[in-house]
Amino acid sequence: MILVNNRDKVEWREGMTVQDVLDAMGYDYALITVTIEGTFVPEHDYETCTVPDGSKVGLFHLAHGG
Amino acid sequence: MANGKINITINGIEATVQKGSYLLQALRDNGVAVPTLCHHKDLTPSGTCRLCVGEVEQRGKKKLVTSCNFPVRGEIAVDTESERVETHRRVLAEMYLGRWPNVPLIQEVAAICGATDKEKYRSELTDENPKACILCTHCVRACDEFIQERILDFAGRGIKRHLTMPFGEVDPHCIGCTSCAYVCPTGAIEVVDDMNHPVDPQMIRDFGMRINAEMAMLDKDQCRMREVGTANIVDVMDAYDLLPVHNYKFGSHENTKNIDSKILKARYYTQDHPDGCWKGCSMACAKAVDGFELRTGPYKGDRVVVDGPEYETAAAGANMGCFDADFIIEWNFYCDTYGIDTISFGTCMAFVMEAFEAGVITTEHTGGKELKFGATGAVMECMHEIAVGEGFGVEVGQGIRYLKEKWIRELGADADFLQDIGMEVKGLEYSEYVCKESLAQQAGYTMAVKGPQHDEAWLIFMDMVNNQIPTFEDKARALYYYPLWRTWFGLHGLCKLIWNDIVPLSNKNYEPQVAAKVPDHVEDFFRFYEGMTGEPLDEEGMLAQSARVHNLQRVMTRMLGYGLRKDDMPPYRAVGPVTAEEYESRAERYNKQLEELAGFDTKGKSTEEKMKAIREYRMDQYNRVVDAAYDKRGWTRNGVPKIERLKELGIDLPRLVEIIKDDQE
Repeated sequence: MILVNNRDKVEWREGMTVQDVLDAMGYDYALITVTIEGTFVPEHDYETCTVPDGSKVGLFHLAHGG
Repeated sequence: MANGKINITINGIEATVQKGSYLLQALRDNGVAVPTLCHHKDLTPSGTCRLCVGEVEQRGKKKLVTSCNFPVRGEIAVDTESERVETHRRVLAEMYLGRWPNVPLIQEVAAICGATDKEKYRSELTDENPKACILCTHCVRACDEFIQERILDFAGRGIKRHLTMPFGEVDPHCIGCTSCAYVCPTGAIEVVDDMNHPVDPQMIRDFGMRINAEMAMLDKDQCRMREVGTANIVDVMDAYDLLPVHNYKFGSHENTKNIDSKILKARYYTQDHPDGCWKGCSMACAKAVDGFELRTGPYKGDRVVVDGPEYETAAAGANMGCFDADFIIEWNFYCDTYGIDTISFGTCMAFVMEAFEAGVITTEHTGGKELKFGATGAVMECMHEIAVGEGFGVEVGQGIRYLKEKWIRELGADADFLQDIGMEVKGLEYSEYVCKESLAQQAGYTMAVKGPQHDEAWLIFMDMVNNQIPTFEDKARALYYYPLWRTWFGLHGLCKLIWNDIVPLSNKNYEPQVAAKVPDHVEDFFRFYEGMTGEPLDEEGMLAQSARVHNLQRVMTRMLGYGLRKDDMPPYRAVGPVTAEEYESRAERYNKQLEELAGFDTKGKSTEEKMKAIREYRMDQYNRVVDAAYDKRGWTRNGVPKIERLKELGIDLPRLVEIIKDDQE
């Protein structure tokens, strides 16, 4: 299980990447900053960076508009 | 190779570079010095000066390429020290030196390339001016890419090539942004006046050019403000269940695709040019539709230019259930023409439609108009009635608060129901965001001094999606900082959009709580302030400036008979589901909240019982966040600034103290 933003649970599976987590959450917003256990993951690594089971993942949307 | 990286060989040494990056960057990242005249970090590479050449070997073939605009896509070997490269560079540098012998940049680059003979290529073309234009194209690209004006370009061919504006005259479309002078490497373009007389023009230019570069390079992958303006938010809000649909009952709809930024861009927007609302601003977010043929009203049949639609206008269409772009653009035009605010009208009409569908009013009251959700024709009729002061439009034009009171008084309507669904606070209609799932946004709306307008605090993503401000104290801090920061823009006549609708790459270096403030852009605004006034500013100073005005405004609302806690109370539709239909549409979410957070066992309970429980829970949460926010702001439990807070801010004038002295706890 992966914990997103200290609140939402996502079922973990072998080889799960950052992009898979974003897809599972339905997040396709342009201004997202991703962290795994507090460590920043650059955007070009989303497809290849794997997320360990039990990780705390931050998917932070920067506000715009409004 | 993993992570989009690729192996190449640079001067015989293996190196790993990002696939698709330009060779010049790859060389410099690996410590290889490469001379250039035309390259600029914030402009699209042009390959103009040809000094950055490298000899690339790929699949057994060697060729000279300009490294600045050569993308690394395959495994190559590059040589920047071969005889062929060195000769090419030296000869070219000698020619530059012969033409512009006294330009310091030319002298510097020539020395790097081993060119020392100023006489070899001296000719009638030789320009002795140390600030001569060297045809590097920086200014041409800056005018195009930063400002999208395309006023500067070259005329003439070969030795007659020179920089000019159209027809060799000063073009009136030049907005005086000074980008061209900023990027000119020789000083050939000089700024000769600063009409607003800033204390430090250079400080302001540094700020402006940074934004220009970000807009040119990053916007296309971020908010697409240049491409579609704020309409990009329609798509985002729908995806996150935040787009108001049917008077804020729901947050998304299957027909949003008919009014989203993709359809507006593909079929309607015809202008993608800066509208000049702020000289030199390169965001160009204002969009327009040209040649739109009107189908109703006094200008029926005319082809007109429509300024918009922007997010709020399109979203107000969704709120009225009118997922029809032709309608939204026509309605946009007439709102502008009649001087009617699209937000206030759209939110008010959405309320009227719900009241109509609920049977509170009938065609008897609307002058025969079937004002159901989606009734585009009836909305336009009503709008024209407002303009000429006739019929039901006269009543709609007076807003939700007026309609609620009238219908309760004259029709005996259910006051609680109308209070729940009438999306207004302090008499102002809500703007177009569903805030049910964000406590901080609920309070941001209601505590905004002018009424529920989103520009004082837009905290939905921080709160609801990111869970960045989980405690009441966290939310109170956000409800202190952000409204004051947004007030600061208003105080100085500055637009907010370049604060966080474009975000610098460096923002990724900050932890999320800090990143949310976009600290580098906040600093830029402080430097802009300092450049204009000569006075340095920091966060504490900014908050103090804004807090004085914000508290003064709050005292003034008290003077006008408002400004108490009861005036900061939301209609329940802003907090939770009013109707069973609404509850059932998001039942999983509400049941989960009841079970996990409110400690309420939902098993065997009716929808009505669950609605009652979640209402109690959510209103309690709302009141607790308001308590925390009042406390942080230095206000009483009743929402009135404490006299000691006015003292702290230096605005404890006797006339102000007199207004609030009886409201102290």
